[in-house]
Amino acid sequence: MTYAARNLLGMVCALLASAGSAYAQEHHHHAAPPPTCADVSMACADKATPFLQSDGTLWLAWSANGRVAVVTSRDMGRSFSAPSFVNSAAEKLDAGADSRPQIVRDPSGRVVVAYTIARDANYNGQVLTASSADGVKAFGAPQPLTLSDASQRFVAFALDPAGDVFAAWIDKRNLVAAKAAHKKYNGAALAFAWAGSGKNFAPAAIAHDNTCECCRVGVAFAGPHRPVVIWRNLFAGGVRDHAVMTINGDQPGPVMRVAEDNWKIDACPHHGPALAVSPSGTYHAAWFTEGSNRQGLFYARSADAGVTFGKPLAIGQEDRQPSRPMVFSTQHAVWLAWKEFDGTRSLAVTMVSHDDGMSWSKPKVVAETTEASDHPLMVGSGEHVFLSWLTRKEGYRLIALGTP
Amino acid sequence: MRVSVILFALAAALAALPVRALDIKPLVGGSWQELLKEHAGKSLVVHFWGLTCAPCIAELPRWAALQRERPNMAIVLVASDPAPADLDAQAAVLNKAGLSEVESWSFADPFTERLRHDIDPRWRGELPRTIQVGRDGTRNATVGPADLRAIRNWFDADVGRKP
Repeated sequence: MTYAARNLLGMVCALLASAGSAYAQEHHHHAAPPPTCADVSMACADKATPFLQSDGTLWLAWSANGRVAVVTSRDMGRSFSAPSFVNSAAEKLDAGADSRPQIVRDPSGRVVVAYTIARDANYNGQVLTASSADGVKAFGAPQPLTLSDASQRFVAFALDPAGDVFAAWIDKRNLVAAKAAHKKYNGAALAFAWAGSGKNFAPAAIAHDNTCECCRVGVAFAGPHRPVVIWRNLFAGGVRDHAVMTINGDQPGPVMRVAEDNWKIDACPHHGPALAVSPSGTYHAAWFTEGSNRQGLFYARSADAGVTFGKPLAIGQEDRQPSRPMVFSTQHAVWLAWKEFDGTRSLAVTMVSHDDGMSWSKPKVVAETTEASDHPLMVGSGEHVFLSWLTRKEGYRLIALGTP
Repeated sequence: MRVSVILFALAAALAALPVRALDIKPLVGGSWQELLKEHAGKSLVVHFWGLTCAPCIAELPRWAALQRERPNMAIVLVASDPAPADLDAQAAVLNKAGLSEVESWSFADPFTERLRHDIDPRWRGELPRTIQVGRDGTRNATVGPADLRAIRNWFDADVGRKP
């Protein structure tokens, strides 16, 4: 039976069930899929990524049924401008759970957006970027971020303290080259590129070969032109543990392991890490693993710029599948946010540290939903920190987590 | 009779629908229990895969080979891409792998946490994943490409086991 027919059968069965016949009693378990949200309005968005401008303007890039759009809010997410669509028609967006549109506004006032499409039947990705010089009014036609026919996925944008746009992503160009030369190559590579304020992206550089190919990367800054990237690496023997690298301008740095989880698996976790750097220079990492040494969601800190990390701290309630960690630093506090599922509700949970990650508050549930939801994210300005969460039922919420 | 009129209408509607080359059923809340119930008492292997999972795509043809080797083995494939999934792309991959005759489902509820929780509360989305369900209902889950020789041996032993 086709998918559509199954849908129809579900509807007919529901009809029969309402008639209360014996037939219906036998067949009521043929549940119809939940109603799909099929239009391209913000109400049907499945991912929403925030960027908070220093004057308090919230920018949101969201995706809904193949379209990518940008809206702004001047009242902290209570109301939004009409959407400005980035692509002119629906495209086949990257279906990965960790894939999401990216957005930054650089000091020139230019808004830059990136998103990933599945470019062929083999689900190779392509990262496209578009920008708008005059706010949300009009985006130029989306262009490839990098000139390569190989797969690119999980692009992460971040605005450098100096005002440049940094992009990191997972790239398969070296895998394609190795295959052509009949050489073995495991996984993908970590790639990055810079765009000066108001300028186009410079050519991509490969920071490291042999990374996991199916998880998002995290980016923070140790200083101007010193982005720190965290990603799920492929260590010797196919171990998918996490690594950080501090890039100096265009120069990749050494690969530093976050923890010896020892997750030796030829599989796609679809579950990437997060990173923040606090004003002391401490690196704060959060990640998911099912390694032989530990399983679950973890946090660890490094006071020596990633050379060594402290003992991983388990995050969340173990029997509620804690997942999708985010970490965010202000001048005086470090915040962790993640998602839990209790069998009925998805919960957005946070905890805070006021001593640079040495000790943490008790976890606090700040929002919940009983339908589908995006990953919980965080944005901030000064000491103000907000949880940014898109849920199907409630829509977009920006929830204040703390002030000094 | 009222029920037969509705059934006739259903049959007519089905005949009018374009038929996808492959029958992929929507997995929603409750479907997992339904699936287990339909195969209750049989040795069942449920294999979870996804379009965005390269190791999964690479492994699929080996499942087709196993099905040819053991035609009586109940294999069920579940594509676990977030809904709404690209069913045409899933069908194309399954066809190419030689799995068009194998029972197939696809996640059809965008609330993926709920679907995964129904199946295995510990599962956080990593793929591929395989669950063996014995004739006595005992379950064993493994992550990563399956050891198909071990699955075949388990199946032969489970089928031969006295109930």
